[in-house]
Amino acid sequence: MSVKLLAFAQAADGLGCRERAIDCAPEETPRAILARLAPALDPATLRVAVDGAYADWDTPVGAAAEIALIPPVSGG
Amino acid sequence: MEKHIAFTESAIVVPALALPSREIGACVEFSGIVRETEHDRALAGLHYEAYEPMATRELARIFDELHAAHPCAAVVFIHRLGWVPVGEASLFVRVLAAHRGEALRFLAAAIDRMKADVPIWKSVAART
Repeated sequence: MSVKLLAFAQAADGLGCRERAIDCAPEETPRAILARLAPALDPATLRVAVDGAYADWDTPVGAAAEIALIPPVSGG
Repeated sequence: MEKHIAFTESAIVVPALALPSREIGACVEFSGIVRETEHDRALAGLHYEAYEPMATRELARIFDELHAAHPCAAVVFIHRLGWVPVGEASLFVRVLAAHRGEALRFLAAAIDRMKADVPIWKSVAART
């Protein structure tokens, strides 16, 4: 299935782009996707969001439409 | 509780005060201003980006949670995106409540929660 992968702030530097379409299986986890597509990015330094909500790195993405790589936030 | 959450690429315009009822006794406002010095570096400004749909949803969730602990009547939240020069506001928050205690506590907690969980980022260099 095709999923939109988003990356923000320094995660975009690590991924090499801010957005790309990826192919993955429903049983694949965000951790496995990150290791496959951006092995230089350390999941310990990022959070992941699935369809706009914080998610666990080890929960399969299921029917997700959008996965986002969330580095430490710094609004305000 | 009324919640108004907005992001803008333009300078923040403080909205006119609109009281949702005649029981409002406190209006607390906060503006976050971009400082010239950060980590001993002189800056011309900061660049902000957000994952807007998620940020809006997270803020609404946080405001609802805080409302349970500090009941307030309304919150207005405006965050600027893109380039913000030194001396201009990157953030405006207004909280309306019956009493100042709830409004002040809600405001302080809302900003703390935003800085911990809401997907907004600042950087010293513009990203494209």
